[in-house]
Amino acid sequence: MSTKGTRIPDWLTVPFAGITPAPSQEKGQDLFPTGNWRAIRPVYRDKLPPCNNACGTNEKIQGYLDLVKRGKYLDAYALIKEDMPFPSVTGRVCYHPCEQACNRGKYDEAISIRAVERFLGDLGQALARDVVKAGKPNGKKVAVVGSGPAGHSAAYQLARLGYQVTILEKSPKAGGLNRGGIPDWVLPAHVLDREIERLVELGITIKPNVEVGKDVTWDDLKKNYDACVLAVGLTEPNSVRAEGENKDGVLYGLPFLRDIGMGTSKVKLGARVAVIGGGNTAIDCAREALRQGAVEVTMITVEANPEEMPASPEDLHDMLEEGVDLLHGRAMTAVLGNGKVEALQLHSARFSGAINASPITVDREVPAERFAVDNVIVAVGQRASLGWLPDEFKTERGTIQIDRFGRLGDTNFFAAGDVVQLGSGQPLMVVNAVGDGKRVAFNLDKILRGEPLQTRTIPVDVIFDLNRMNMTYFPHFPRVQQDLLPPTTRRKTQDEVIQAFSEQQAVEEASRCFSCGTCNACDNCYLVCPEPCIVRDVRSNGLYKILVDYCKGCRVCIEECPTGCLEGVPELDFDTGVVRMDTAFAISPGLHGRQAEELRNLGNRPAKNI
Amino acid sequence: MATIEVQRQLLPILDSPNQGARFYNPDLPSTEPFVPGHRTCAGCGPSIQYRMTSKAAGDNTILVGPTGCMYVANSSYLCTPYNVPWAHTQIGSAGSFTAGVAAAYEAMIRKGKWKGAYPNIICEAGDGSASDIGLASISGALYRNHDCLIICYDNEQYANTGIQASSRTPYGGMTTFSPPGPMVPEAKTLFPKDLARMMAAGHPHCYVATASVGYPIDLMNKVRKGLNHKGAAYLMVYTPCQKGFVYETPRSIDLGRLVVECGLYPMWEWNPETRAYNYSFRPASMRPVSEYLKLQGRFGHLHAEHIAKLQKFANEQWRMMGVELPEALIQAADAKNLVNMGSAAEAEEVAQTV
Repeated sequence: MSTKGTRIPDWLTVPFAGITPAPSQEKGQDLFPTGNWRAIRPVYRDKLPPCNNACGTNEKIQGYLDLVKRGKYLDAYALIKEDMPFPSVTGRVCYHPCEQACNRGKYDEAISIRAVERFLGDLGQALARDVVKAGKPNGKKVAVVGSGPAGHSAAYQLARLGYQVTILEKSPKAGGLNRGGIPDWVLPAHVLDREIERLVELGITIKPNVEVGKDVTWDDLKKNYDACVLAVGLTEPNSVRAEGENKDGVLYGLPFLRDIGMGTSKVKLGARVAVIGGGNTAIDCAREALRQGAVEVTMITVEANPEEMPASPEDLHDMLEEGVDLLHGRAMTAVLGNGKVEALQLHSARFSGAINASPITVDREVPAERFAVDNVIVAVGQRASLGWLPDEFKTERGTIQIDRFGRLGDTNFFAAGDVVQLGSGQPLMVVNAVGDGKRVAFNLDKILRGEPLQTRTIPVDVIFDLNRMNMTYFPHFPRVQQDLLPPTTRRKTQDEVIQAFSEQQAVEEASRCFSCGTCNACDNCYLVCPEPCIVRDVRSNGLYKILVDYCKGCRVCIEECPTGCLEGVPELDFDTGVVRMDTAFAISPGLHGRQAEELRNLGNRPAKNI
Repeated sequence: MATIEVQRQLLPILDSPNQGARFYNPDLPSTEPFVPGHRTCAGCGPSIQYRMTSKAAGDNTILVGPTGCMYVANSSYLCTPYNVPWAHTQIGSAGSFTAGVAAAYEAMIRKGKWKGAYPNIICEAGDGSASDIGLASISGALYRNHDCLIICYDNEQYANTGIQASSRTPYGGMTTFSPPGPMVPEAKTLFPKDLARMMAAGHPHCYVATASVGYPIDLMNKVRKGLNHKGAAYLMVYTPCQKGFVYETPRSIDLGRLVVECGLYPMWEWNPETRAYNYSFRPASMRPVSEYLKLQGRFGHLHAEHIAKLQKFANEQWRMMGVELPEALIQAADAKNLVNMGSAAEAEEVAQTV
């Protein structure tokens, strides 16, 4: 290429030798601003890790794992508490959708996020004062009906926003599903009690033995409070509509667990117990039945094999280890016996996939089996009890009718948790209820303040593809396993089955995190830059800067970024003809500022006559 | 006569970036002896090496730059990107100049004219200077055991003059002096000079090591070991050249890793105390040479038998390091088995089996 005839603007002529400035660390060698060679500019852009995305309440999982790695446990605990009021509970009971989504699962084994969360939760429990403080009082009163996960979460977030919150709880003790639906050997009562204490410390009033519809009406709520969150949950068990289901010895899953959890159980189980259902509650019931004195426990499911059961595979494995038998492809059609259960009549059955009346097809052609039992526990789901609710807010699914912000029509009533999520396609999990409670609390706050609700969601870039990261930096490492009590001893006690991580184990496990798409201050870009035009004063996440005056756009840093945080942005868009150089150079004045001006005016020049 | 205390810097050795499962580079010195604003190509390997070396050495350093890329591209119009004293010397006099600087400091300390710690004297010679033109002077400096570190940044050709073959250019490497054609289909017919081993064998009292930009912390530690060694030290560093090797610029560090993983650049240290080679460095995986060759335009003309010949060379290097060779690599050294390995996808499959 010849430069003959090229006009060199004054501001691009080279200064004379001898007057060139000495190079310095801050300014580089400013005679050669090599940034104008660049076609692609590296930028730090944090993406959403898949774990944060999968979590029902969008905990900043990558964030707290990174803090645990560096030994900053208290910061990690404070970070988790932004979204999750009770990490010590979810650290035990959560079905960890985050671990299913973990990118490390595609590489070797997913990170044991739940165990690290439990480590942090237990750390928080041991603190004399919680890190979270109630917000400045704004003088508004909010009632939260129900103290289960959704109610707990909503009350917690509202108290942090400065509301005067009252929790109305039907049972004598607060805790809702956390207390009534989760057995002691998963979640010891003292852990939950401590978390409820934390709520009281935030200035929340808990009124037990108050049932909506009986002790307090819809109009009372409307009159006495500025707003109300309905997180009543699903309290009534579904039946299987079998003949003779009203006989003695027929128990229902959730009430069975609830009475044991509240300490009001009068049930004496016989030696042989059958559990109907294949979900997580059914598994808990079967394992609880062993601990309540049953000798032989059989789980009867319609699903043809264990893989189809809508249950957590780990819990299923632990249950089988404890000696529960599985009987697949059967449905209970009748309960036999003279006033008391003596046997069950089972027909072979399968899921038909029909979504209308009953999804289960019972094969009546084949003769029925007789299955001798002393007790049967039916755990095939629950429904809500909404007799107190105005009819206009009921759906045909038996849930509460809400808009997309969790609001009931134009009222100041909101609903959250299982009572709105049932049948919505979302799995009913503690963490989903917590997330729902959190979002509803924020929406409620906005409405009471008269602020507009966000109708459009910001698109998020979730990093799922391992090719967007540099895997050469991550050697394969096995997952740190949590200890379990041996099956033979645990099946008779209420002791916690899964053991906690030690500090060393928690750090080791957190160290396995890839920090997908997020800067974790590994210093690699800083070290490999050939210029070197990547600078930092403090070594910390997101404090790296790129001197665009000098970056030549070689993209070594982008290629070598282990987490995939660095991205290349084209400076010149050849498709649209847009010149972005000005943005690249806009950071510092001087040569580049003027150059950018020249480039901006390029479009105004008359076309060349070639 | 009273003995003179020479205060030495004794730089600490850095930790490995792989701490258990965690990848996290150790804390590096905050000073920056090498600053941006130089005219090396985007993704320049020698520049990456320069940056890491000077970062490891710190501020009390004197750099000597014989003619080569790191002189031509970096110092123009009386302006350099070096924040520490730097001097240019002729391409043939790299060793003698460096020896002079070292001798001058030794004398100044002896006469009490220099009070501080003995500076790190580093000569950054390209492979043209270190293996061809300046070989004699570098050998002399090493032999006389001046307290300095001589680094050969090995980009395997004369790059600043427009890619000519040097004695470090690998077998099969295309340069303007070794173009492939009907008479010489493999371009360069000779295998490269084994420069580092030559220096270790010829000057056994020196610390000699090979390193690669693909392993930054290892490279920085070898620089520090060489500077801490009392006497002359020699380091040969693999630094890919984007223009000469013809690859995509982001691959600079990647190539530095691949060349070691393919066995074409064995990493070792010569211990002057025990007079023995240390072959304990092991890359994360072993790969066939085709993985390395396929990324570079300068090897684009190679036929199966040439690749097999390079694989045979790599296998010898692995054996020399005492590594058990997997069957796939022994197979790959036979041209018959490479005939169907034309496509990149097939070459990748071999890597899986390794």
